[in-house]
Parts: sequence; structure tokens; C-alpha cells
Amino acid sequence: MSAPDRVTINRLPTGVPGLDEIVGGGLPEFSFNIIAGAPGSGKTTLAHQFVFANATPERPALYFTVLGESAIKMLRYQQQYTFFDPAKLPASIRFVNLSQIVLEKDLGAVLEEITKEVEKANPAVVVVDSFRTMVRKPQSDMDLQSFIQRLALFLASWQATTFLIGEYAEDELRDNPIFTVADGLFWLRQAAERNSVVRKLQIIKMRGQDSVPGLHTFRITDAGLQAFSRTFGLIGHLKNPPGHRRLSFGIAELDKMLGGGVREGDSVLVAGSSGTGKSVLATQFIAEGIRHGEPGIVAVFEERPQAYAERANSLGLDLETPQKDGKLAVLYLRPLDLSVDETMHSILDAVQKIGAKRLVIDSLAGFEMALSPGFRADFRESLYRMIFALTGIGVTILSTVEVDESFTEFPFSTYSISFLCDDIIRLRYVSIDGELRKIMVVIKMRGGNHAKDIREYEITSKGVVILGKRLTHYQGLITGIPVHSDGPDPMPEPSQEPGTGNKR
Amino acid sequence: MTTLPEMRDLAHRLVACEAVATKTAEPRNSATLRVYEKLRDGLSEFAGVAGFESIASRALVLARTEAPSLNAVQVSSDGELHGFGRDLGEIENPIDIDKDRAGAYSAGEGGMILITRLLGLLLIFLGEALTLSLLRVSWPAAALDDSNSENGRKA
Repeated sequence: MSAPDRVTINRLPTGVPGLDEIVGGGLPEFSFNIIAGAPGSGKTTLAHQFVFANATPERPALYFTVLGESAIKMLRYQQQYTFFDPAKLPASIRFVNLSQIVLEKDLGAVLEEITKEVEKANPAVVVVDSFRTMVRKPQSDMDLQSFIQRLALFLASWQATTFLIGEYAEDELRDNPIFTVADGLFWLRQAAERNSVVRKLQIIKMRGQDSVPGLHTFRITDAGLQAFSRTFGLIGHLKNPPGHRRLSFGIAELDKMLGGGVREGDSVLVAGSSGTGKSVLATQFIAEGIRHGEPGIVAVFEERPQAYAERANSLGLDLETPQKDGKLAVLYLRPLDLSVDETMHSILDAVQKIGAKRLVIDSLAGFEMALSPGFRADFRESLYRMIFALTGIGVTILSTVEVDESFTEFPFSTYSISFLCDDIIRLRYVSIDGELRKIMVVIKMRGGNHAKDIREYEITSKGVVILGKRLTHYQGLITGIPVHSDGPDPMPEPSQEPGTGNKR
Repeated sequence: MTTLPEMRDLAHRLVACEAVATKTAEPRNSATLRVYEKLRDGLSEFAGVAGFESIASRALVLARTEAPSLNAVQVSSDGELHGFGRDLGEIENPIDIDKDRAGAYSAGEGGMILITRLLGLLLIFLGEALTLSLLRVSWPAAALDDSNSENGRKA
């Protein structure tokens, strides 16, 4: 059959932000779906969101409740969500309780009652919550399987998109014949990890379309479920691939060291110990971008946006005005149970809102601390996905990372993430003549030549200022305790006044 | 619409609505009982028979504190009212809404109190918007908003 002859499957909005992308563009119309998970995992809320997003007076939703949660209490709590529109009841959404039939009769009678209601209402959406509680007496799985099979056949013929909700533990999901009937299988789970709770969902099965595999984080807020795709919604969306420009730091000597600046779409790591000027360098990078009409985002984890802007101001860099003008967004992300996916969602929202070209993550250590303990274990993998996704749409990322200063080693990062970065700039202290000075070196530039010079710099009222020429008369500078070699000393004396270092 | 007097007002309007129907179509039925039965049908559909029975029982207990004549009334497991006949004599009389609203209920007005308490519980559990939505299923033509009531309260 040629492509034009294939049946078109309409995709219905799930009503859950982020979930449409995960299921492959929306839920297939007339599909028969099972939502499985432990109590409290968000199954009913997910079904409600779908119902409220799709039910109309012409094609209403029938929501069958069985045993378990009281329907009155369910509505009492569900109406707290912002998606819950009481005006949709009962013309568009009807709740039907089957508990009496379940208690007094058998599954056949339940099926008969559902059939009767469906034929009467001609619904577009049918939910049975929870179908597992219908099996009261010890019965074989075959009874329930047969019931579900007949229900699936009937509802598909009546052109209804269906959700069955069931309480299942993780180990029950494997090889369960019930699930073979379903077109779509949603698995929701929540797990306590140390002091945080992490919610994840997985589309185990979705017939007819490609869903995004893997476990996706979701959160339940007053707006209901919000899902965060592992691919950040960027699959096949390289709308703005990186160009070939070189981006300036606004520090001429550093730009030279970088071979003309940072390549657009690169991921830059600025590594150094505390006080070496990582944040100053990052701020200059963002400010220079704004000066060239490139909107930017700063994701801060260790200080508040106001403090960040004030510190920039002390360097003569105005971050307040571009924020007001919509050219800069300073994101303060510090709840302690964040997932990388949620962080990414916030960043991507900001990227799309202001058309950001530069992003600063200050710092990776703060980012990691803001994550739920469970996500910290996957930090490198998450970071990889995030950097890959963002640089893929043309955003140039500068991340700062604090490294423990050692006088025997020269580490780039405590995270072993240098492989994720295209470019690495290393800042460090050196001990010379009884003074603690600072040196900078470009360690790596992927796909481009760069200076191998080790340069001294200072942090002045103008920001990072690189001093003099490269240091040629010291051995072992990167150890932090260089040895003076013979010959004239090109190592400049530290400046007497801040901001005058470039005179030397 | 959040207070008991407002629920009382709503109960009166529903009963008045049914009283008209009683006169024309089913003269033997009590208007109050018809309101109760309609509430029972509507609520049992979405909350289940047991769900309705439990909320009706609670309403009855609350109503008894105001109308001791309801001590003889029972809610059966299917939500049906039993022993309501003794109370019906007074209720079946034409309803004078103005009179009822003006003062305390007499013992014979227990049915109205029961409906008031039932509506009050729905309001507590489901809120105003959802309660009115559910009532509109059984009384699609009735004016359920307070703005239309004689108390003139806004919904």
C-alpha cells in the first residue's frame, strides 16, 4: 500500500504539557490505553487532564468509577487543579459509578452497564477508574483479560479513545497478558530518593507511532501533571543550527587566545578554584553578547539574580537594562529536588522567549546541588543530553566549574565532563615571589587552533584583564609553584592599581 | 452561595419547582420527597448508591438537630428514605416560601431541612460550581443561581 493510501490516525492532545511530544505527537484517536502505577502516582489526574482536554457536549467523556476512591472525594480534590472546568459537567463529562454492580454482580454485568451507557452517550472518551478493583473475588487473570478484550473491542468500534486505570507494582508489568490488549501503556511511578521524591513516567507501549523511549520526569503542580521529555522536545527540531561565527568575550587578548573567539554553538567550560574569576568571565561573555545584539540567559544556582546583577554592575556591566528590554533572562533555579529535564524546560522556555544565543550555567556544582539526589547520579549523562540539545539549536553555552586547587595536579573538572565541552579555559592560582597570582590557559578548542600561551590576568573594576605576554621564564606554572628559569624576567609585577594592568 | 440560609433558599426553590409538577402530574407525591429522589438518582449515578447513602445519612443526622420529627426517618442502604410518611403531612401542604424563610422551621418542615442539609454537604464537598452543575441535570429549567432568588444573593 502506498503512503497516501494509509489510514490517517488523528492524534488527540493529552492535556498534559510535555506529554504530547513524549507519546509521539498526541494520543492516537480510538486507542485503548492503560495507565498503570502505584497509588498516588498521578494516574487519575492524568486521565482527568485528558478528559478535560477532549470532551465536548457533542462527543462527551464517560468516566466510570468503580471501587476504591469515593467519587465525591475524587471530584473534591480534582477540582483544585486549574484544568478542572466545572462547567464541563455534566454536559461534556459524565461520571458514572459502577460500584454497586461490581459488588452485586459479575464482570459481565459491568460490561453490559458500560455498553449501555456508551451506546446512550456516544462518548469520544471513556475512562474506567480503576479496572483492577473490579476483580473482587479471587479470579484468574483470564477473567479480567477476557473482560478487557471484549471492552477494548467494543469501545474501539464505538470510536472511543479509552483509558483503563490500574494499580500495578513494577514487577507486575512484566509479561502481564492484560497489557497485550492495550494500544498504549503508560507507567507512572514515584520513588523517594533520600529526602526527595522523584516522579517518572514511561510509555512502555504506543502502537502506531514513535514515542520517546525511556523514563521521563514529571511533576504534579496545581495545574496537574507536567511532563519533561528526556529529549527536551528537541528531537528533529534543529531549527536554528549553529553558524560559523566566532563569539567574543569582550576581552581582546582572550579572544586571540581562542583563535578569534568561541565558535558559535560550542560548549565552553571555564574551570578554576574559588575566586579565580569564573563568574566574572561568564558575565563578560553574556554582556558582550548583548552588546552585539545576542540575547542571553544566565542560569544561576549559587546567588540570587539581584546579587548577580549588582556584581556585574560593579564591573561596569549593566545587566538590569537588558533584563527589562527582554534581551537577558537571569534564571534562579534552586529547589533541591529539580531534575535536569525541569531545569532544561525552564531554560528552553527562556531561550524561545527571548531568542537567546548565549547561555551561562553558573555553576555546574550549584546545578548538581539543586538536583534531587537521584538525578545527581545521572548528572553527567543528563548534562550530555542538555548540552547536545542546546548547542544543536545554535546556543553557545558557557559553564563554570569549581575545581579543587592542587599544587601537584592540574584538573579541569571534578566531574570528568571535559569530554562534553568543546572548549576549556582553565584559571588557576600560582605562587610567585610570595604572591598569589592568577594564570589562564586555553586547554582545548575542538575543531580550531588556539594559543598555547599561559597568561597572567587580574580581576579589576573592568573585569578580567589579561596582563603582558605569555610567561616564558617560569617552569612548572601549571603546578601552581613555578620555578624561575635563567634570563630576563618577563613576568610582570602585579598592577598597583586595579584596572591598570593592561599598561604592562 | 456559601451559607446555610442560602442552601435553605435553594432547597425551597427546588421544592417549589417540584410542587408545581406535583400539582399537575403526580399529585400523590410529595414535592420534597421528589426533590430527595431526584438528588438520590443524580448523586447515585456518579457517587454510587453507597456514596449517596452515606452522605444522605449524614444529612439526616444534621437535620435531626433542627427537626426532631426526623428521628423516625431512616436512610436505607440503597439511599431510600423510610419513615418519612409521618413528616409528609405538613410538607405536602402548599409551600409558603416567604413564611418559611422568615422564621425557624416547624417540626413538620423536617423534609425541607433534610434537603437543605443535603445540599449543604454537597456544597462543602464539591463546591458551588460543581453542585450547581449536578443540580442542573435534574432541574435543567430551574433558576439555581442566587441572583434569581428572592434573597437576591449572588452565586
